[in-house]
Amino acid sequence: MSQTIKPREGEIWAVGGGKGGTGKTFFTSSTGMHLAKKGRNVVLVDMDIGGANLHSFFGINRPLKSLTSFFEMGASLSDLVAETNQPGISLITGDVHSIASDKITFSQKLKLFRQIMKLNAQNVIIDLGAGSHNNTLDTFLIADKMVVVLVPEVIAIENMYHFIKNSLFRKVKKTLKDYGFKEIVQHIWDRRESYGITNLRELIDYLKESFSYIGTILDHELASFRIHLVLNMARTNQDILLGASIKSVMRKYLGVPILYSGYIEYNDAVWKSVRERKPFMIHYNSTECAKEIEIIIDNIVKGRDIAIGGA
Amino acid sequence: MGREELKKDYETLEIPPDSSLRDVHNAYLRLKKLYSEDSIAMAPLGEEFSDKKRKKVLEQIEEAYAKILASRKGDSARPSPLFSDVPPPEKGSDLGNPEGPYSGPLLRKLRERQGVELGEISKELKLRVELLRALEEERFEALPEPIYLKVHLRNYAAFLRLDPILVTEDYLKRVKAWKERPGPPA
Repeated sequence: MSQTIKPREGEIWAVGGGKGGTGKTFFTSSTGMHLAKKGRNVVLVDMDIGGANLHSFFGINRPLKSLTSFFEMGASLSDLVAETNQPGISLITGDVHSIASDKITFSQKLKLFRQIMKLNAQNVIIDLGAGSHNNTLDTFLIADKMVVVLVPEVIAIENMYHFIKNSLFRKVKKTLKDYGFKEIVQHIWDRRESYGITNLRELIDYLKESFSYIGTILDHELASFRIHLVLNMARTNQDILLGASIKSVMRKYLGVPILYSGYIEYNDAVWKSVRERKPFMIHYNSTECAKEIEIIIDNIVKGRDIAIGGA
Repeated sequence: MGREELKKDYETLEIPPDSSLRDVHNAYLRLKKLYSEDSIAMAPLGEEFSDKKRKKVLEQIEEAYAKILASRKGDSARPSPLFSDVPPPEKGSDLGNPEGPYSGPLLRKLRERQGVELGEISKELKLRVELLRALEEERFEALPEPIYLKVHLRNYAAFLRLDPILVTEDYLKRVKAWKERPGPPA
């Protein structure tokens, strides 16, 4: 890679997944709460462009500063960090006004990433919001822990596959760009039918076979492409098993390792806490749900996943 | 053939090479089920994961399972393959089980969560499905005496990779409470 990243003490998490309303913001805020409770110093970043509402999970109605200042006035990111009503948790509020994701320039994006990496925190947790816009995918790719939040519904699964697939494709293109292969990747993909390629895995395999030295590079770069899957709003055992099925399908279809970090059973208390604007992990900390969330976060921290029948 | 040489086959079954025979079997059943039926985990992929590819995946699963089983032939020389091959459950291996003592309904829930059918347990443990059903439904009057029941419970627990001792203890307590309940037994 052309840009070398200095080893940081802080760890970046990004929470995405494609579909809106799966609980990404809820999970981001809960993760912040749990890690802060364990004594970590956490900065949450709301990157949900156009739908930023992480601040409202901390009872903030009208944020004084937001990412808008970064994009429109060139403010530095560290100046936008605001304290929340929770000890150990600071927040960079998302752009609640005007910016459209495609208005962000390339250099703004790089500057943003550089400054995110320099934030003074042990954990930076980025709420990506919905969608698979390139800026969203690129933000996802800078994270040390790539987390997707899913609900057991076909459309959410479809969006999630799309999101992961495109993230991987972008990662492949970026990796090979530095070796002058970017055009070739797109070229082969655009004519995939004549190459007998139907999916991304086959494209990667084709590249590896055709250009052996690329294989080593890809293997090395893609080794860090690990997804942590959180299944939200599970109502049945069938739903819980879905996480294990998705893990298998992703592995066999994309060759992407997924860790099934855990599931959160559906609970009205979550909805209530959001409506009451009370942090769930504090006001409902004795619920089953809160315990499940704590287990999930610990699993993500340790890179573990839950075992389901030989999964 | 060493376990290391079968690395690819273990990868196909998505389990580490040091997995127990029970895990190998469970993984095989789960994957076979996943790729033979329609699943919402696969539906959104459409032609990108066509029936043809699915068939190929199934063939690979069958092949990997057969090869691993063949490599473990020697294992069954041990007196009780079921027990000797089951490692002590790690903490959280049964999904953290925060749901209290192992009752019949909870056992059923945990079994279904793993996608295991009663028929599979019945075949493996050579127990009637009816008996297993009575066990899960806590129709204690239909169950054998505790001394026999204990063995069944341990095997049942081991099959599902639950802690056999805890399961047996919890369940027999329930049987005892039922026996000691006021009023004449049914």
